[in-house]
Amino acid sequence: MKVVVVRPERCVGCLQCRFACSVVHSESKSPFTAPYESILSKPRIHVGVTTGKEPFPNKCRHCNPAPCEMACITKAIFRDESTGIVLINSDRCINCGMCAMACPFGVIRYHVYVDRRTSAHKCDQCFARQKEGKIPACVEVCKVGALVFEDYNKMMDKATDQLASLVYLGIREKEREKGPYPTLIAYKNTLQEIKRR
Amino acid sequence: MKVVIIGSSAAGLACIDTLIRFSPELNATIISEEAYAPYCRCLLTYYLGGILKEKQMVIRDITSYPPNTAFLFGERVDRINTKNKSVMLAGGKEIPYDKLLIATGSNAAKPKYYDETKKTFTLRYMSDAKKIEPHIGSRVIVLGGGFVGIKAAFGLMQRNVGVTIVISSGYPLSMIVDEKTGSFIGKDLRGMGIDIRTEEDVAEIKTNNGALRVSLSSGFELDSDAIIVGKGVKPRVELAKQAGINTDLGITVNEFMETSAEGIYAAGDCCETMDIARKRFWVNAIWPVAVEQGYYAALNMLRMQAPYYGSVGMNSMKTRAFHLITAGVLKGGEGISLFEKYIPSKNQFRKLAMRDNVPVGMAFYNNPEEAGVIVNLIKKGTPLTVDPAKIVNNEVSMMDILRPL
Repeated sequence: MKVVVVRPERCVGCLQCRFACSVVHSESKSPFTAPYESILSKPRIHVGVTTGKEPFPNKCRHCNPAPCEMACITKAIFRDESTGIVLINSDRCINCGMCAMACPFGVIRYHVYVDRRTSAHKCDQCFARQKEGKIPACVEVCKVGALVFEDYNKMMDKATDQLASLVYLGIREKEREKGPYPTLIAYKNTLQEIKRR
Repeated sequence: MKVVIIGSSAAGLACIDTLIRFSPELNATIISEEAYAPYCRCLLTYYLGGILKEKQMVIRDITSYPPNTAFLFGERVDRINTKNKSVMLAGGKEIPYDKLLIATGSNAAKPKYYDETKKTFTLRYMSDAKKIEPHIGSRVIVLGGGFVGIKAAFGLMQRNVGVTIVISSGYPLSMIVDEKTGSFIGKDLRGMGIDIRTEEDVAEIKTNNGALRVSLSSGFELDSDAIIVGKGVKPRVELAKQAGINTDLGITVNEFMETSAEGIYAAGDCCETMDIARKRFWVNAIWPVAVEQGYYAALNMLRMQAPYYGSVGMNSMKTRAFHLITAGVLKGGEGISLFEKYIPSKNQFRKLAMRDNVPVGMAFYNNPEEAGVIVNLIKKGTPLTVDPAKIVNNEVSMMDILRPL
């Protein structure tokens, strides 16, 4: 199963993902007409960049088991069995606010949908786009690689390999009595060097 | 394996769903006292307000379950036979079990003036709501300023019914929040047109040609069509007590949700688990906790040895005027320090209670965005790595909280 993996240390806070998200989820799907629709499409990814705050691309992780799905009293939140994506049925949602309380990542917001009805609002991992064979919009526009659309297990394997080599490097350096590298970037540079050899 | 589940609400349904997910071939029987398809109790106030119809409250389609799952609606369990490992129904039928889940839930606490002939009702079951519905006219009195009381008042208000809430303590939600948070709720409820009378109780209820005249302890008199009592809940432990299972206020369970009898598990409002914020055994009678307990009970029935980490009392109330999210304990006590911040221009209020370095309670008023993060820190008992004063000032980004973890 492919998921959007967030790498917050790479995020520069350009908010391109928010713009792309709202355009894709609007009625017209065009950046020129989307701002003039009667129900304004709201982004489903939150970066939270203001003065004094570091950017953190925060979106739904589609947890399993999902705390919001457990807390939902109307069963408006459900899991699509084939893809594993947690979705919200806005017709059933009664806007009780339970999911915002249960979500450990704070990604659920409440916005007006159709018929002036307020409903819970969160990332659907571009369910409609994925059916067409496209990748999620936020990943498509991310220029710095803070959002990656990858197979979960492959991503974990990669990270494990990297960590293992870093630990190995660290141990080797300690034996040379040079002291550890000052930054993670220096570690990574050495890692790249080793790979090239 | 034969599994019997008593109760088909939050805990019971979560349990059967989890069992089917991990072990689809087992035989399960779900016994429910009520003759309705599984519905959500929390929605009864919405039903009274006319926002939801009866069929919209159904949360499970029982026809979608596999054929080896049997639902018995409108059947009462008479007693549990722990020696023979069987359950006796009131009709005389005997059902054997290997694993049993007691999810009997709780009953509404009934005060001394509770009397259905005087149109005084509690709101706990679908049948209660159906009893109340024909009596609703232009004025209704709600007794008790808890979540049920306020939600019922808010639901009725949307039906253009004049509502008076009579609260025996000094402010609404006095069991959950502190006085300052309660005062904000009181102010906003009054602003919506709900009449609130604090530090009052019912002295006498008189009937006159079908209309009620209620005199309060201060001497004030009110006219009303019906009275809805929302004075908390009591765990239903009689069944477990009869079978010789250890009970306290609720049914006592170990960390694997198992009771003192072998093969019998308990979950939901009727059982007593460790409260993480209070650090003592406590009954947290709320929907999300019941679902969680049902889930863990199912895992342990399948011998997965998943210890339940404990519960935290948490709740969310959203009305047109405000959105309140609370969790844990908020009242100051030994070793608890409080941080708070009020922003009048946005009508926002944030409050955080800390014991040493661990958050134990919070109330976020009109500020739901990052409330979930703090609720889950309370749930896991994680020490905060940032200054709590910064959190209430909303100067902290997710990055600051997550990086050191």
